[in-house]
Amino acid sequence: MTSNGYECLYLLLPMHASSSSLSTSINKTERVSNSSRQAAMGRIERLQSSYQSLDESFEIGKEMYRGQQYSQIYFARLHLMRTLLYSLVPLWKPNSPVCTVLGLEEGKECVIVGTLFKHMKLKPCILDEYSKERSVVPLVKPHNFVNQDDYLDLEDESGRVKLGGNIIVPSVYVTGIVVAIYGKETGAGDFLVHEVLEAGLPPQIEFPIKSREDRYVVLVSGISVGSSRSNPLQFQLLVDHITGHLGDEKEQSIASQIVRVVIAGNSVEMPRGLLNGQNLASKDLSRMAEPVKELDILLNQIAAALPLDIMPGPCDPANFALPQQALHRCLFPGSSVYNTFRSCTNPHCFELDGIRFLGTSGQNVDDLDKYSEAKDKLDFMERTLRWRHLAPTAPNTLGCYPYTDRDPFFIESCPHVYFVGNQDKYDTRVIKGSEGQSVRLVCVPKFSETGVAVMLNLRDLECHALSFGTQFSP
Amino acid sequence: MNKNNSRKRSAPPPQPPPPKTKQALSLEEEFVDEDVFIDETLFSEDEESAILRDIEQRQALAARLAKWTRPPLSQEYLSQSRSILFQQLEIDYVIGESDRGLLPNRSGPAAIIRIFGVTKEGHSVCCKVHGFEPYFYISCPPGMRPDDISRFHQVLEARMREANRNSNVRNLVIDVQMVQRRSIMYYQQLESQPFLKIIVALPTMVASCRGILDRGIQLDGLGMKSFMTYESNVLFALRFMIDCNIVGGNWIEIPVGKYKKTTKSLSYCQLEFDCLYSDLISHAPEGEYSKMAPFRILSFDIECAGRKGHFPEPTHDPVIQIANLVTLQGEGQPLIRNVMTLNSCSPIVGVDVMSFDTEEEVLLAWRDFIREVDPDIIIGYNICKFDLPYLIERAATLKIADFPILGRIRNSRVRVKDTTFSSRQYGIRESKEVTVEGRVQFDLLQVMQRDYKLSSYSLNSVSAHFLSEQKEDVHHSIISDLQNGSAETRRRLAVYCLKDAYLPQRLLDKLMFVYNYVEMARVTGVPISFLLSRGQSIKVLSQLLRKAKQKNLVIPNAKQAGSEQGTFEGATVLEARAGFYEKPIATLDFASLYPSIMMAYNLCYCTLVTPENARNLNIPPESVNKTPSGETFVKSNLQKGILPEILEELLAARKRAKADLKEAKDPLEKAVLDGRQLALKISANSVYGFTGATIGQLPCLEISSSVTSYGRQMIEHTKKLVEDKFTTLNGYEHNAEVIYGDTDSVMVQFGASAVDEAMNLGREAAEYISGTFIKPIKLEFEKIYFPYLLISKKRYAGLFWTKPDNFDKMDTKGIETVRRDNCLLVKNLVNDCLHKILIDRDVPGAVQYVKNAISDLLMNRMDLSLLVITKGLTKTGDDYEVKTAHVELAERMRKRDAATAPNVGDRVPYVIIKAAKGAKAYEKSEDPIYVLENNIPIDPHYYLENQISKPILRIFEPILKNASKELLHGDHTRSISISTPSNSGIMRFAKKQYTCIGCKAVLSGGNRTLCSHCKGREAELYCKSVAQVSDLEILFGRLWTQCQECQGSLHQDVLCTSRDCPIFYRRKKAQKDMAEARLQLDRWSF
Repeated sequence: MTSNGYECLYLLLPMHASSSSLSTSINKTERVSNSSRQAAMGRIERLQSSYQSLDESFEIGKEMYRGQQYSQIYFARLHLMRTLLYSLVPLWKPNSPVCTVLGLEEGKECVIVGTLFKHMKLKPCILDEYSKERSVVPLVKPHNFVNQDDYLDLEDESGRVKLGGNIIVPSVYVTGIVVAIYGKETGAGDFLVHEVLEAGLPPQIEFPIKSREDRYVVLVSGISVGSSRSNPLQFQLLVDHITGHLGDEKEQSIASQIVRVVIAGNSVEMPRGLLNGQNLASKDLSRMAEPVKELDILLNQIAAALPLDIMPGPCDPANFALPQQALHRCLFPGSSVYNTFRSCTNPHCFELDGIRFLGTSGQNVDDLDKYSEAKDKLDFMERTLRWRHLAPTAPNTLGCYPYTDRDPFFIESCPHVYFVGNQDKYDTRVIKGSEGQSVRLVCVPKFSETGVAVMLNLRDLECHALSFGTQFSP
Repeated sequence: MNKNNSRKRSAPPPQPPPPKTKQALSLEEEFVDEDVFIDETLFSEDEESAILRDIEQRQALAARLAKWTRPPLSQEYLSQSRSILFQQLEIDYVIGESDRGLLPNRSGPAAIIRIFGVTKEGHSVCCKVHGFEPYFYISCPPGMRPDDISRFHQVLEARMREANRNSNVRNLVIDVQMVQRRSIMYYQQLESQPFLKIIVALPTMVASCRGILDRGIQLDGLGMKSFMTYESNVLFALRFMIDCNIVGGNWIEIPVGKYKKTTKSLSYCQLEFDCLYSDLISHAPEGEYSKMAPFRILSFDIECAGRKGHFPEPTHDPVIQIANLVTLQGEGQPLIRNVMTLNSCSPIVGVDVMSFDTEEEVLLAWRDFIREVDPDIIIGYNICKFDLPYLIERAATLKIADFPILGRIRNSRVRVKDTTFSSRQYGIRESKEVTVEGRVQFDLLQVMQRDYKLSSYSLNSVSAHFLSEQKEDVHHSIISDLQNGSAETRRRLAVYCLKDAYLPQRLLDKLMFVYNYVEMARVTGVPISFLLSRGQSIKVLSQLLRKAKQKNLVIPNAKQAGSEQGTFEGATVLEARAGFYEKPIATLDFASLYPSIMMAYNLCYCTLVTPENARNLNIPPESVNKTPSGETFVKSNLQKGILPEILEELLAARKRAKADLKEAKDPLEKAVLDGRQLALKISANSVYGFTGATIGQLPCLEISSSVTSYGRQMIEHTKKLVEDKFTTLNGYEHNAEVIYGDTDSVMVQFGASAVDEAMNLGREAAEYISGTFIKPIKLEFEKIYFPYLLISKKRYAGLFWTKPDNFDKMDTKGIETVRRDNCLLVKNLVNDCLHKILIDRDVPGAVQYVKNAISDLLMNRMDLSLLVITKGLTKTGDDYEVKTAHVELAERMRKRDAATAPNVGDRVPYVIIKAAKGAKAYEKSEDPIYVLENNIPIDPHYYLENQISKPILRIFEPILKNASKELLHGDHTRSISISTPSNSGIMRFAKKQYTCIGCKAVLSGGNRTLCSHCKGREAELYCKSVAQVSDLEILFGRLWTQCQECQGSLHQDVLCTSRDCPIFYRRKKAQKDMAEARLQLDRWSF
């Protein structure tokens, strides 16, 4: 299988050589290919890092669909969050009584804790499929369903109350967040909000200070092998760069400091059009698996050189509902033989040299972007941390496994690095928490569209973009 | 609108509809006055004080209720120093001692009219009107002189006395007067003739007196003589309204000093007073007086804890919750929201929850609530047949004697009357009529059934239809469990109950029923309650009586007048040239065709010339119209008809209302005006139906057959003119062609291919042809159909254009399969095909779509919910003569589990399953849930042949050659897949073995996933498996979160079992498929 990959590489390069000024890289690749295996072992040693996977809570082992509904996950979430918020209330509103929605009395100021529910006029609804008059003009799918008439309800297991006043802005919040609210019930049965308390950043494990040398993690997403927009050469360049097959010695020495590659979803694009409910001819079936095979060949090269984590995304051959389970090993007959190759869940959580990473393939943030508003994607990420919930819109608008006893998306411990994949552009920021927490937020762009991967330095959590292009403007 | 259509398009008698049996008709149409004696239903003083004591005991509750009372009276009202102006909503009468103060000359029992209403400040009013007496007319026998009248009076009085021996009334016949009137029937040259106006003591005596006169009485010098009576069938309250110029829902004023406050009030109204009928001022509903008073609307719903397997019965099952919602007319938000529960119930935000330990307390609390809140209108869903009778019968079972005091009259018990409703459609049904004095009952179910043609009338599907939201439906077998649970589960039930109380109110608001019905009452002049409880004809009769009174005409009480004449030819439908037209089709419509004809040709009772008169009277031929059906009517220069006059007024008023509507800014005013113009239109169209209703009040088939004959003539005339004028010979580009015409419209293909060009030609044609008709008959150009699919007569579809640049909508007639016994698949298929054909203009696409759907059906990939057929279970199996699928299924389900089996009144959903060869159709029905759970194969051929084929072929036949062969017997029908039932006999003996996911080969050894042959393809096969799981997960999430949304709670499990909901089965199926697909996927974990 491995040799097959290199054959492919040879075929690939001459094809593109004419279209772009890549003469230098061809030379380098040739040189490297001569000494392919020995390169890493030879002059430059690749650095190593300790790695611990924390995906356990996202793994669905023996849990089954047994007719359970979504109420239980909300209940579990409310229970977890309420315990937490109740512990904060004495500091926040020392003298206020804490009520349940049922216990509200008109005019009495109090604190209530509950799950938010946002009523949205524009929210698409499965019942629309059955509406008596199908609209003549097909609905234009808006990318955002926020409307000025949206309003919030607060719900606990005892009941629901409509939230009034202009303190709590519906466009910021989404269904599924648990918050504490201070205010009073008005005569009309509304709850007039005076103040809102969110859980805030969770406690963080201490940042390890021992390391003084640069070590890099490469974050990449949206490779979309098989998509019409993806350029196979572009990713090959990234692979070659990471594996030290590109550039001069200085570049290679930087490459040797890359200790891990994390692929955050959408590595392939399946020809979904083939799956229209009708039976598939075996010819079509094999066409469908074509991109996966190609991906295996590419990953094979990375896995041979350094540790690799691959997360499933919405377009990958994985299940749809969060947490998405690891891509099956049988999809990667070539790369999965390496012990450096790890197929992970989405969301994905791990520690690298004591630095905690948490990331998703982007669904949580994309869904927030549909049902709420913020100035940029990093804002959404920050909010999820402050709400202490990775995917508050699950299960409401984001598919999710119907858990019965827990909510795996509750963020118990604050990560040092929090990334989401498949975003439109690269963006990063550091946010600080009230207890000294510091989190590096990273939007990992779609590689197939931007040619950008992200290098993150484990020493100081500084990040920079790694940009690859095959078309040089004259 | 519906009524209007049906009236226009079908031959009389459209009202009442033919399927009803005579029994139903007589119930609906027979107007009977029933005297109610004041003391009959009242409590004695002792009882009353006992009730008062009882109330004291529950003072805590009273205090709670007290905050909802009406606003207190101002000083001006208390001191009677201002006139009382109120909007009346309900008028009835009782028999009481006549008032000596107001009527010093009368004594003994007399009819007292009670008008209930609301002032603009929101005070409730009970106005008792004295001095109005019942009367009717007979034609004066020739030769009777004024001096003979007293003799006649005595004879009549004596005969009346015989018939009413027990009456304690001193004078049964109060007076007989000779008056000059004329009968409305037939053209007469004499201005008037002597008539006798007979005034009797009590309203019921009109009928008995009529009976005596019908049979004939012995008169001196004249011998035995029987009399035709006139206006003896007019209800007393209506008679009063007509004579006082009061129309339903208008404002009435009683000036200062003309009313007298009642010393001992008999009602719970804030303002109760006596006055004389001559002192009433009735305001026409215009300007300031077109507004609505802030009346109180109570919407309520009850829940009963039924026993397993039985529909709740008042003799056994307790009432456990009553939810109430009170709204002031014109306000967006309800004033009061509360729920009364048996046993504790956790609080609900914004709702006053009142919990009681015994059922008696619940019922009494509700009674007190009604009394305190004093609603003017009581609404709900199916309250007239279920909720109200149930409460009353339940109270009777519990022996709570003082419960049924729900009306406005102090201590007067609510009366429940059994009525039988019978029709071929619904079978014989016992129902109840509950009289709640002074409060209008407005049952939304009745309204829906009257005004809209829907496939289902359950509250769920009605609210899905009009409010676009699904209602959570809790099966009645769960209700008892919820009730027997904790305060939490009862709260759950209360929330559900409240929602059921809220939905009728929202429907009322959304569909503007208050405005539309009040306006209809104002236009036609009948009380609001008549609109629901009585047929169409009373509305026309009321207008006819009013008009006749102005003209000094009297209307004979001759029901049988036209009944022997049989039927006559209906409206014309021009032959439809079926096809798919890809050029614009212009539609020329006659505006209000039938009313226009009646006006244009002066068709009326009083202009009709009998053949006998035609010979005798020597009417000049130029003064009459001979109708195409051979009748003769005089022209308006000799005698202006009453019906044309009524119609003219209605249409003029509609024009005015429409003009005002354009001007109006205020949304409430707009609502009133829109309701009015709609009411006017419906009224104008129902006049024709009235004359054609052979079992109606005053049928006159001469009129109705003349109307339709003119209509036919006009359609033919139009067709001829269009095809003669718009020809290439006359300089037009194409020859016009009339492709179809129906009752009042003609479809023309002018040949032009641009929409605007066709529009101009259409306008030109309309104008040209209108010029050839007598006014006000007018042909209008309204719309273009382009493209247009004409299937057969009364069945077509097309895109509807009123402006040249863009079409307005897709319009279909007769092919929308709203029939209940069709499954959703048919409806979707038809809709999608039309969409593809008409809008996308993609016929091959539509063909492919149908083929795919048929293939899906045969390959068992169809969503089961699309295949569900539902039918109402109206009686148990034994009562049906023919075995039917749904009844048989209900029986089978009862044997399986009596608790969840459908009961009488439920709708039974079923699918048709594959059964043994030769099985009867009714044996092949099965419960969809059972089918899902046990993998029972459905019968695709049944669906293909009995459901899909006809509607699909209908659409495609005009478009496609060999449609049947191509669509129903093509290649796509070759492969068939049938699922294996998991419960059938043979499968229990089968040994289960794993088969290869790739090639279905039986696996051996330790292999659980793939055979050795398929091993190399594992990546692609896995992709396929996981894609399946992924699709199901998407569906699972969307379906179950939608149900959470509908039930309005995230933290509680979805309980809903609404089988009317389109996603109910899909949700269930998604759950099951999900579990299976996951198991399949787990086979990969090696």
